[in-house]
Amino acid sequence: MKLRRVSDVEWEIAATGSMRVPGRIFASEALLVKAEADRATSQVANVAHLPGIVGASMAMPDIHWGYGFPIGGVAATDIAEGGVVSPGGVGFDICCGVRLLSSRFTAAEFGHRSQAVMGELDRRIPRGLGAGSVAAGRLLGDVLERGAAAVLDAGYGWVSDLDRCEEGGTSAGADPGAVSARAKERGVGQLGSLGGGNHFLEIQVVDRIEDEAAADAFGLKAGMVTVMIHCGSRGLGHQTCTDALKVMGPAMQRHGISVPDRQLAAVPVDSREGQHYLGAMAAAANFAWANRHVLAHEARQAFAAAFDIAPEDLGMTLVYDVAHNLAKVERHLISGRLRDLCVHRKGATRAFGPGHPVLTADLAEVGQPVLVPGSMGTASWVLAGSAANPAFGSAAHGAGRLMSRKAAARRQHGRGVRSELEQRGIAVRPGSVKLLAEEAPYAYKDVDAVVEVCDRAELARPVARLVPLGVVKG
Amino acid sequence: MSGGSRRPYRTLSHTADTGIEVEGATLDDVYANAAFGMFDQVVDLSSCTPEVEFTVRAEAADPAELLVELLGELLAVAEIRRVIPCRFEMRQVTDTSAEMDVAATPVDRVQHHGPPVKAVTYHDLEVIQSDRGWKARVLFDI
Repeated sequence: MKLRRVSDVEWEIAATGSMRVPGRIFASEALLVKAEADRATSQVANVAHLPGIVGASMAMPDIHWGYGFPIGGVAATDIAEGGVVSPGGVGFDICCGVRLLSSRFTAAEFGHRSQAVMGELDRRIPRGLGAGSVAAGRLLGDVLERGAAAVLDAGYGWVSDLDRCEEGGTSAGADPGAVSARAKERGVGQLGSLGGGNHFLEIQVVDRIEDEAAADAFGLKAGMVTVMIHCGSRGLGHQTCTDALKVMGPAMQRHGISVPDRQLAAVPVDSREGQHYLGAMAAAANFAWANRHVLAHEARQAFAAAFDIAPEDLGMTLVYDVAHNLAKVERHLISGRLRDLCVHRKGATRAFGPGHPVLTADLAEVGQPVLVPGSMGTASWVLAGSAANPAFGSAAHGAGRLMSRKAAARRQHGRGVRSELEQRGIAVRPGSVKLLAEEAPYAYKDVDAVVEVCDRAELARPVARLVPLGVVKG
Repeated sequence: MSGGSRRPYRTLSHTADTGIEVEGATLDDVYANAAFGMFDQVVDLSSCTPEVEFTVRAEAADPAELLVELLGELLAVAEIRRVIPCRFEMRQVTDTSAEMDVAATPVDRVQHHGPPVKAVTYHDLEVIQSDRGWKARVLFDI
């Protein structure tokens, strides 16, 4: 794949063959070399074939090989020009995302109660296979309709949480009737569960502030203990994507669309199949918003029990909750004209800058918080959206994998990974020891390097760096 | 029936996810071996003792799509029943439909050694006839 250097943090793949637009990758040379070593760059080119795509098929600095879309892929299609929606551009874990809570505690204060907190979390946070759930399945119908608002009304979390959640924790246009019975069967026992893979609940401390004004607006300060939760829509979302992909194969032929990879199957946003998928996707997203809301409630309960303090006195307010696997209809200025686009972010975080109309008043001056979790045992970042964002208001979503799971597991046993983390003062509560080996810090790229590119490419600007104190893994 | 101590598949390296390649004298073997390979990513199936049995069915346009459909159905049923399927026997297979008898063990009776498989993808999917029968390649979202 031939790449042309646009700047030291931007590369272009020329539109050749039936590519409709060029590819554009935001990466340093070092990060790009890693992306080229696998097939991620050719996946950027494949996405450029989608009907209605505008601007470029883009990739964030944490780009790596996915299935269909690259992980870190961003693609916007113009709905009025026959633009398509591709379930593969959202992924199986619909509305997978990250939620960050602040607290009143310092690392030293947490240290005195860390065993109690980790024990409470270990007991309260269902994770891994067949783990059960926090919230009752009878809430499912309301959750698919209303997302976090449904579990709030059932007694989980605080009203103020909704203000600090992308979409207010409720995706518009949800159509619970478009979610299959099979998907609902899978979701009914999983509301309030972490899942496995790279999902986690982490206790972190703010190790550095890069932008005082933004940190203040977000409710963060140096030395503060925080809780970061990374998970999504569980089996309900996985089944919703599976169902859509099955239908879209033949539907694509009816619409005369061909794509280079079956996993990129897509239909016009305005088609019956497109609207059906977007309704089901929004309902699955509502499950994910509610899922993280319930888990945050449990984290507060865990701290309250461990510190013997009422939950409302913990200072554990929501910094932000943002998705990184979603397709959304958004209005963007393209060639001097406002156009309604279907923006796919597959492993990319929405990152709206200061003044964006969807931001609440308290965030309007500084921009939207962008949560970038690092790998287990390494730093995570809070960024702020940039008004000059060149990627349809998108930024990186994590460190990005560097090593395959197989290679990481070969390098060191999970027991060794756990021991190294504990020697560094990081408490670990794994669901599976093998998973620890696969998710070891060296299996991922350097998150600081990813954030530096976000900053230099004006995708988002650094606000605060967080380092881990405790990890609960699936 | 695919199971026991042998490993009738090869794990493929993928940066974020995982995949398998399987071979078989017949399409039946390929589907059963792929099912074994998928769940063996999560649990050491050689250590499982089956306790429950059920049948799954799938239909699709061609043998490759049928593999995705069948494995996806297995994942969904296993999650709903809270079991890990560990023995697989094809009851009937055509190019567009399959029925598989499954023996499984409750999920809380097994030691997990890998992350759960979220879903079966179409990326790099292949089911083809080879000199020795059939072979297939399928990638999973982890």
